[in-house]
Amino acid sequence: MDNNPQPGAGDDMLTPLILGHLDGRLSDVDFAVLEQRLIDDAAARDLYASLAKLDAGLRDGIEMAGAPVNLVTPDGKAFSFPVRKVLAMAAALVFFAGVTALLLNKQGGSDLQDPGRGTATRGVAVISAEAGAVWDRAEGSEMGVGVALEPGRLVLSEGLAQIDFYGGASVSLSGPAEIELIGADAAILHRGRLRADVPPAARGFEIRSADVRIEDLGTSFGMAVTDDNSSAEVVVFDGEVRAIGRDGEALSLFGGDTARLVEGVARPQSELPKGDFPNIRQVVAGADDRDESRYAAWKRASIERRSDPRLIAYYDFEDLTETSRRLENRAAIGTGSELDGGIVGARVTRGRWAQKTALDFRLEGDRVRFQIPGEFDALTLYAWVRIDALDRQLNSLFLTDYFDPNEIHWQISREGKMHFATSPMGVQDIDKHNRRFYSEPIWDAGMSGQWILLATTADRGDGTTPGTVAHYVNGRQVEIVDGTQMHKALPKMRIGRADLGNWSDPIWTTAMRTFNGRVDEFALYKSALSAAELELIYQQGKP
Amino acid sequence: MFTNSNDAESSEENFVQLFAAHERHLRAFVRSMGLDWNAVDDVMQTVSLVMWRKWNTFDPDTDFMRWARVIARFEVLKFRRTMARDRHVFTDDLMKLLADASEEQSEGSRFESYRSALEECLGSLPPASRELISAAYRGDRTIGEVANDIGKSATALYKTLDRIRQNLQICIERRMSQV
Repeated sequence: MDNNPQPGAGDDMLTPLILGHLDGRLSDVDFAVLEQRLIDDAAARDLYASLAKLDAGLRDGIEMAGAPVNLVTPDGKAFSFPVRKVLAMAAALVFFAGVTALLLNKQGGSDLQDPGRGTATRGVAVISAEAGAVWDRAEGSEMGVGVALEPGRLVLSEGLAQIDFYGGASVSLSGPAEIELIGADAAILHRGRLRADVPPAARGFEIRSADVRIEDLGTSFGMAVTDDNSSAEVVVFDGEVRAIGRDGEALSLFGGDTARLVEGVARPQSELPKGDFPNIRQVVAGADDRDESRYAAWKRASIERRSDPRLIAYYDFEDLTETSRRLENRAAIGTGSELDGGIVGARVTRGRWAQKTALDFRLEGDRVRFQIPGEFDALTLYAWVRIDALDRQLNSLFLTDYFDPNEIHWQISREGKMHFATSPMGVQDIDKHNRRFYSEPIWDAGMSGQWILLATTADRGDGTTPGTVAHYVNGRQVEIVDGTQMHKALPKMRIGRADLGNWSDPIWTTAMRTFNGRVDEFALYKSALSAAELELIYQQGKP
Repeated sequence: MFTNSNDAESSEENFVQLFAAHERHLRAFVRSMGLDWNAVDDVMQTVSLVMWRKWNTFDPDTDFMRWARVIARFEVLKFRRTMARDRHVFTDDLMKLLADASEEQSEGSRFESYRSALEECLGSLPPASRELISAAYRGDRTIGEVANDIGKSATALYKTLDRIRQNLQICIERRMSQV
C-alpha cells in the first residue's frame, strides 16, 4: 500500500474517512479501511494528525467562552485556583481567543460582548483614559474607563482613548480607528492611528498590520494604517522597534526612523508620516476636560434633585474632607440635618470624577450610621458605588440594625446578586415570613473598579396584593431570579438605625458584611421611582 | 501535597501557568491519537493529575510539551485498554504511530504560528461557511439539529463541512509553509 500517491488534504478518499472518524460517524467497514490505510501509510498518518489538530483547534476556539480548566487535585476534587492564578491562566488562554472571536462573530471580529459579565475574567487590557471617545459597540455592552477588555475587535469612531494592556504596554488610540486585541501583549491595528508606549517590562509587545508585525524593543512608536488597510506607516519616537515582514525579514528602526509597510514588506522612508499621533498626555488632558463637563452636568442635576418632595434623604457625598465626620442630608424637604449620617472609619477618596469626593469602605469598622424614622408604603434606594470586590457571602449596601419587624435589608451577594428583604416578623420564623428578592447576578470581578448605579424600588400598594420589588443596574431593570415569600404582601417598611456599607448589629455575632469599595451618592425616596426616572438618574450621573 | 511554603506555592503556580499555556496543544496531541472527545476529556483529567504528581521530575530548563507528551502518550495507551473496540479506537501500535506523526509535526512548527494560521484561514472563509463551522463545533446542537435548521440532511451537511474543513486544511498548510 506504500505505493499510494502522497496523500494531502486534497486527497479525495482519505480526507472524508479521517474527518468521518474524528466526527465519530464511520461505519465499521469504513473504520477498518481507514485503520489499515493508516497502518500502511505514513503520509496518511500525517494527514490524520493534521486534521485532528484542525478539529481540536476549531473545537477549542468555539469552546473558549465557558471552558473550565481541566484540572483536578490529587484526591480528585475540583482544583480551585486563587483569583490571581486564574488571571495568569486567563492570559495563557488568550491563546485561542482570536479563533474564538472569528467563530463567534459573524463579522469576523469580536465586538465586545458584555465585558465584565460571564463566569471568569478573561480581560487582556483595560481602558485607562478617554477623551470624547465614541465606541461602536455591541448592544448592551458597556465601554468606558475601567472596563476590562477581552480579546476582540474594538472600533473607536471618534475621540481618543488609552488602552493599557495587562502585559504592561499602553496604547493611545485616535478615532476613527479599529484595533483588534489579540492578547495581553499583542494587537492588530486594522485602521487608524495609535501610539504605543512600552516600558521595559513589556518589551516584545507586538502590533500587527497588513502582514507586518511591529515588535517593540523599548519605549515608544506610532503607527498609522490606511482606511483600506492596504498600507501602514510607523515612526519610532524613542528606543528600538523591529518590523518583521511576511517573509520573516526584520527591519530594525531606531528613534526618529520611519518606515512604510506595504504588502508584507517594511521599507525605511525618509519623510515623517502626515498627521499627529495621539499622545497619552493629550488623552489625559482631554479626559480632564470631559470629566469636568460630566461632573458639571451631574452637579446641576444633583442640585435639582434635592427639592424632589418624594425624598426621605439625599446624600451627595460632596465636599468631604479628611476630617469630615458628618455626611450631610441635602434633601431640601423634610427633617434636614436630623438625617445626617455619621461617618465611621470610611476614608474620603476620589469619586466618579476627579472633582467629586466619595467614601471608601474596606475595613471592618467602616460605615456610615443613620437614624431614619418613619414607616413607608414604598421605597426607592439608589447608590452610585464602585465595588472593588465582593468578599463576603453578603455585602452590605444599606442594612438596618439587626432585622426587626418591617425593617429592610439591601445588599449584594458574593455571586453578584442584589438582595432586598423585609419581614413583618423580623427574625422570627424567617423561613415563613421573610420576603426576599434576589436579582440575577449583576456583578463579577471583571467589573471591579467600575462605577455603577444600583437601585431597588419596593412598593406594597395597598398591602393586600403581593409587593412589587424591582432591581436596577445603571438605570436598567434586571431580572429577579430567586427569592422567598415573594407572593405575600409587603409590610409597611421601616429603617430606623442603619448602616451604609456595614451591619452594626448583626443577628449572628459572627456575621460580617463589610462593603469593599466606594460610594459617592446615596438617596432614599418614600416612593417607587419609575424605570424612566432611574434611567435619567443614570444618564445624568454616569462617569 | 499542597503546602504553604513559598517554594511549593511558586512551583504550583509554575505548573498551573505552564499547564494552562499548553493545555490546548496537549489536547490536540491526545486527540490526534484517535480518541473521541469524551475520551480526550477523561484522559486529560488523568494527565493533569499525573503531571502534577510528577511535577518535581520536570526540569524547568527543558521543554514542557516534550515532557507532557511522554506522560500523555502513556496515559492514552493505558486508557485505551478500558475502551471497547466497538468505539472505533485504533490499535495500540497505530496509536503510537499517530502520536509519532503528531509529535513530529509539532516539533517542526510553533503552536502559536499554527493558531494564527488557523485564525487567518477562518477569517478568509465566506461568512456562511464560518457560521456553519461555528454551529457544528459549538456543541450545543447536534449535527442533525443544525442540518434540520438549514433544511439539509445530516449527510449533506457533513459533506459541506468536510469540504470547508478540507479547504481550511489546505489554507493552513499554505500559510504554514509560507513562514
